[in-house]
Amino acid sequence: MSRVSQFIFRRRGGSGWHWTDIVTWVWLIGGTILMFGPALWLVSSSLKGPAQLAEFPPTLLPYTQITMPVEGFDNPLPLYTVTNEDGTTEVLAEIRRVGTNAQMVDPDAPEDRINVNIANREPLREIGFATDNYVQPLVTNDFLRFLWNSVFVTTMATLITLLTNSMAAFALSKYDFRGRDAVMLIIVGTLMVPLSVILVPLYSVVSATGLLNSLWGVILPTVATPTGVFLLRQYMLTIPDELLEAARMDHASEWQIYWRIVLPLAAPALAVLAIFSVVWRWNDFLWPLIVLSQRETYTLQVGLNTYAGELNVQWHYILAMTVVTMIPVVIVFIFLQRFITTGIAGAGIK
Amino acid sequence: MGRIALKDIRKSFGGVEVIHGIDLDVEEGELVVFVGPSGCGKSTLLRLIAGLDRPTSGAIEIDGKDVTRVNAADRGLAMVFQSYALYPHMTVRQNLSFGLENTRMAKTEITARIDDAGRMLEIGELMERRPTQLSGGQRQRVAIGRAIVREPSAFLLDEPLSNLDAELRVTMRAELAQLHDRLKTTMIYVTHDQVEAMTLADRIVVLRKGVIEQVDTPLGLYNTPANLFVAGFIGAPNMNFFETTAQGGHAELPGGLTVKAPGDGKITVGIRPQHLRLADDGEEALEGIVTLVEALGAETVVHARAVDGTGMVTVLSGQPGLHIGEPVRVALDHAQIHLFDADGQRIIPASG
Repeated sequence: MSRVSQFIFRRRGGSGWHWTDIVTWVWLIGGTILMFGPALWLVSSSLKGPAQLAEFPPTLLPYTQITMPVEGFDNPLPLYTVTNEDGTTEVLAEIRRVGTNAQMVDPDAPEDRINVNIANREPLREIGFATDNYVQPLVTNDFLRFLWNSVFVTTMATLITLLTNSMAAFALSKYDFRGRDAVMLIIVGTLMVPLSVILVPLYSVVSATGLLNSLWGVILPTVATPTGVFLLRQYMLTIPDELLEAARMDHASEWQIYWRIVLPLAAPALAVLAIFSVVWRWNDFLWPLIVLSQRETYTLQVGLNTYAGELNVQWHYILAMTVVTMIPVVIVFIFLQRFITTGIAGAGIK
Repeated sequence: MGRIALKDIRKSFGGVEVIHGIDLDVEEGELVVFVGPSGCGKSTLLRLIAGLDRPTSGAIEIDGKDVTRVNAADRGLAMVFQSYALYPHMTVRQNLSFGLENTRMAKTEITARIDDAGRMLEIGELMERRPTQLSGGQRQRVAIGRAIVREPSAFLLDEPLSNLDAELRVTMRAELAQLHDRLKTTMIYVTHDQVEAMTLADRIVVLRKGVIEQVDTPLGLYNTPANLFVAGFIGAPNMNFFETTAQGGHAELPGGLTVKAPGDGKITVGIRPQHLRLADDGEEALEGIVTLVEALGAETVVHARAVDGTGMVTVLSGQPGLHIGEPVRVALDHAQIHLFDADGQRIIPASG
């Protein structure tokens, strides 16, 4: 332990402070706040009630009002710390609020009603989690259904993406045929066509094939990614041709060469593409929003959108469900992160 | 099984012809070595025989059957690649069994063959390892093992020893020779190393620029090279060549030494460094100035410049004590000279 702290607090200036020590600390701490701050704020805010979210200044931790059952009242009453005119403080329960005054009662003597100016009282709160933010959407607002739809779309789209893109990449990297470079150029060229340009024609195609309001209408148009083909092809170029020739001498069919030799060897690149594909499909919003118009087919991202009404935005639900939305992506990253750097470095793209 | 015949094989890449009509017969059980400088087409020729490339014209026959249009896998040949080309994601056992499984061979038969090969090549303990966990020599054995389990009619080896260090290369060379003795299978071996070629081959095929220069046994090549290229390529250090003119049955070499030469006109006289010796006083000799002395102990390689400026290398036994800049006189063994005409072809010396 002492070695760890020794390592962490080691300074260039020895016992003193060199200016680079200060810059380093400021930089690292600032960077940490910049990176983790929003995520932490999101998680902690997702556990706050709607009233607390509207508060200014915002609090770091989620709090809930302490309540207490008082004799003679059906519901538990919220507790406040009240400052009397003589400076003493006492804890009172609020019955109701009238204008700038609150009608309060001492929990120990519920018969006496006391009028208090609302400026003289502070709500008594404790750290507490508004778990209802999660329970409500998941149980009654179909969010489990949306979650399942998202998982289905992401998994299927990623699997099909990996299969088709790797087959295209195999052909483009290992077979010498007329027009190969032209095909590659066209595929890479489509990188420059944004979705918004092809939105209307794509909609017509999906509509004509009867895939509107079906999850396959979200999955199929997105599986052929130029980035994926390019990334996998660049990686497959590094697999020596002699391996394929050895397999050919070993009576392997072209499909076996692809399935048993090239695919296992391209695993790092496939992992990178899998990460990309999962993130893309999971975070996809615009295309699912257009294709899916029935509530039971919504994905998470489209479902989140339903909380943002024209007049009223239910921030507490949006924040909570955003956390739910983030979790799978984080998990995928944790498991596949070691492939990212090697794969990206190998393919030479970001 | 294992007779291979090449009939007027030609191969072009794009518009460039790299193999210019090769005719060759490889007998059953023979170890034939293709040797030549890099770019001579020896690896290309091997790939044509393997079926990895198709010849532009000509025919390849194995055991009398035309296989020119037959797939690589169906020719019954096995190839050992220069880089070994072991499948990195499979264990040694999987590497060996991959080709057999693809032919839907029975499991017991596969196991038996792999165990046999494992014993023969002493790789039995390595079966569950992956290629990256093996040393160069072990990988080499596995690559050979992968060829052996197929029980091919002929082995094709593409510079199999070039990735090994010098010491291991000598051991593996000896093992390959033993392996060939035991299996008695036809082998075609490609190398640019003439020592490998000389020690392993039953017959050597010397290639240059896509043409066969000469096909003969190793000693046949050494003793009667058919042309200047073969003469210069086989033997180390290289043969000494002196360009001169034959006149009236004799030709004069720098320093006044004359040798018998039939006919008239320009000729090249070749003499191996090992066939030169220091001249006695008064004897006819080649004269030159020593430019470099490489003392190896048992023998000394003396580089000299003859009086007409031609480079001249002599291998002298022992340690003759010559120094750079000194004049040197060497005599030659007249029975050991090689004569080549103006086109570089061997002149058959008239008897006597």
